[in-house]
Amino acid sequence: MLAAYIIGGIVVILAVIFVALYNALVKLRNQVKNAWAQIDVQLKRRHDLIPNLMETVKGYMKHERETLEAVTKARNLAQQVASSGAGVRSRAESELGAALGKLIAVAESYPDLKANQNFLALQEELTSTENKISFSRQYYNDSVLRYNNQTMVFPSSLVAGMAGFKADDFFEITVAAEKETPKVSFT
Amino acid sequence: MWEQIGSNQRKSVILVVAMALLLVVIGYVLGLYFFGNGMGGLIIALVVWAILNLVGYFQGDSILLGMAKAKKISRDDHPRLYNVVEEMKIASGLEKMPDIYIIDDQALNAFATGRDINKAAVAVTSGLLEKLNRDELQGVIGHELAHIKNRDVLLMTMCSILLGTIVILSWYASRVMFFNAMVGGRRTSSSQGGGGAAQLIILAVALLLMILAPIAAQLIYFAVSRKREYLADASSALYTRYPDGLASALEKLGASTCQLKSANKATAPMYIVNPFRKKGMAASDLSSTHPPISERIRILRAMGGASPSEYDRAYQQIHQKGGRGIIPGSAISAAGAISLRAASPAAGKKEPGEMQRKRETSDALWKVNKYRTIDCECGTRLRLPPGFRGNRVRCPHCGRTISV
Amino acid sequence: MICPVCKSDMIVVEYKDIELDHCLDCGGVWFDAGELALMLQSLEIAGHGLCLAEIIKFPEAISSEKKRRCPICGHRMKKTILGKEPGTLIDVCDRGDGLWFDGGELAQLLKHLVKSPGKEQNEPQKIINFLGEVFHAQE
Repeated sequence: MLAAYIIGGIVVILAVIFVALYNALVKLRNQVKNAWAQIDVQLKRRHDLIPNLMETVKGYMKHERETLEAVTKARNLAQQVASSGAGVRSRAESELGAALGKLIAVAESYPDLKANQNFLALQEELTSTENKISFSRQYYNDSVLRYNNQTMVFPSSLVAGMAGFKADDFFEITVAAEKETPKVSFT
Repeated sequence: MWEQIGSNQRKSVILVVAMALLLVVIGYVLGLYFFGNGMGGLIIALVVWAILNLVGYFQGDSILLGMAKAKKISRDDHPRLYNVVEEMKIASGLEKMPDIYIIDDQALNAFATGRDINKAAVAVTSGLLEKLNRDELQGVIGHELAHIKNRDVLLMTMCSILLGTIVILSWYASRVMFFNAMVGGRRTSSSQGGGGAAQLIILAVALLLMILAPIAAQLIYFAVSRKREYLADASSALYTRYPDGLASALEKLGASTCQLKSANKATAPMYIVNPFRKKGMAASDLSSTHPPISERIRILRAMGGASPSEYDRAYQQIHQKGGRGIIPGSAISAAGAISLRAASPAAGKKEPGEMQRKRETSDALWKVNKYRTIDCECGTRLRLPPGFRGNRVRCPHCGRTISV
Repeated sequence: MICPVCKSDMIVVEYKDIELDHCLDCGGVWFDAGELALMLQSLEIAGHGLCLAEIIKFPEAISSEKKRRCPICGHRMKKTILGKEPGTLIDVCDRGDGLWFDGGELAQLLKHLVKSPGKEQNEPQKIINFLGEVFHAQE
């Protein structure tokens, strides 16, 4: 009788621990999902800004056809692969980031353009969108790190193994603002 | 590393519990002295505390913002500020965008409110918007959002209510005691001759408590507040990956001589720098809600990475204390090494200058104050107050008559 | 902002990125300290910001004109003379909030500027010249 109680008690305790660990994993996985959705929102915003930007700068930058075309091309490519996996996307988006960075650097030598109110407003939006992309990537990667750690440490690794929680990929992308800055590294 | 910072408030919670115990003790002893019954005093203490809680709840954030004469802005009023707040919201992982307010004041300061992290607000002064560049503004907003994310607003509200109760109780009790001593002191002591010794001890303890409790509570309050300030700085560095931005903002804030006109004692811990800082005062001692600015700057400047553990290392390096840091342990262990980013915008690009920032800011203020803007063909811009009557106005520069 | 003379709401005139408060009823102009510093800064004068402090130290002018109250801090302002020959009677807030030019004084100043534009390049003259430029059509 007593043994039955003890075994029953242990089973209940184990179940409680299992549920707690499972819930913690679910919470972390949701956070990763939300963080990914945030990156998505910001990348879409970046794509939406580009036609406007092109419209504004093309009158001023007649001699920079190549630079402009590179941006448009990179943007179209990035839009095409928008539903692909993280690896393909981050390559396309990095390309776009580099092209945008070049465009903005070139724009610096057009004083008329820089006095244009519309361009100034767009530049603020673009700067901020690039920042938001890198902050959402930062938060996403931090979330992934935390989630992956949780799937690997004992005892929640057991729960992760049983319930099928798999480690996620990090997302690397270059944005226009950080061409020459060191990559964020997680060690 | 993010949740941990929020949930690891054990030390802060212990301090709050200490304050609550202080309140219980003072209620009990005063009850013993006045009614010969500790429970009566305890009940009075709890009732006062409950009333203050209600007041605190109802005179919530809107009144606080109202007292600071803060005006709510939208994205179009000040795009740069809105964007910076949104960037920090993303970096901190907050789920809801906080409301943004501007205070028309030349002093440089900012604060956050909102006990519920989904109904929070940040307020910045117009002086701050004019003087800080984007990186600096980002550092300050990161600090404020960290206060929201770390649930400091809730913690500090609880602390200030406990402090308020203790101060009120001691103040009234001391008045009553002195009144009794003057009017009927003699009668009390002679009629209760037998219990005299016990009575005397209770009197002594009560007197001592009345003097010491408010001071102790105040010190605890300041200690909690300073701890949260360090943590918010560390979180800001983590969000922005650029502690130099906040450091350089704090340098400007510290150099400014303007005092905030509409500061409020209850909200002082929520400001980025102490709004009651007097000129020339070394705001470094125990009796301050904020750590000294110069020390905060030195810690941020000494950081070689952006992680909380790096902040902790810098803190210890500056204090040269043996192994006692300021950041909760779990916040440190959860984060690996995180490298810094470079200043933005990348070298060679220009940021809006002070003139442009000033116009941007006053533009936002005119908009929220509902002024109408009219651009004359000669380039002069006229702004008409909301009470402006009449349908035409003459441009004082070129003499054109413009219909409104 | 409220006009210190007729207590009505003033309009704001923004010219070359400098804001001035202007009363349509009495023609007076308020030159805010921050805007004054910005204007002198944009003209690239070394030691900007000192200007208002210097004006506060000018000797008090004897005048029968009524004392005005500063529209920002509400304290009485000091009367003083800005510029030379004939000079303009102005009110200055001795807490450093800004300068007030009465409508009548401004009109006189403008008339005088039209006849003989100020040549001197000291700071008070620059303020007067700037006001003359902004309120070009007033006279």
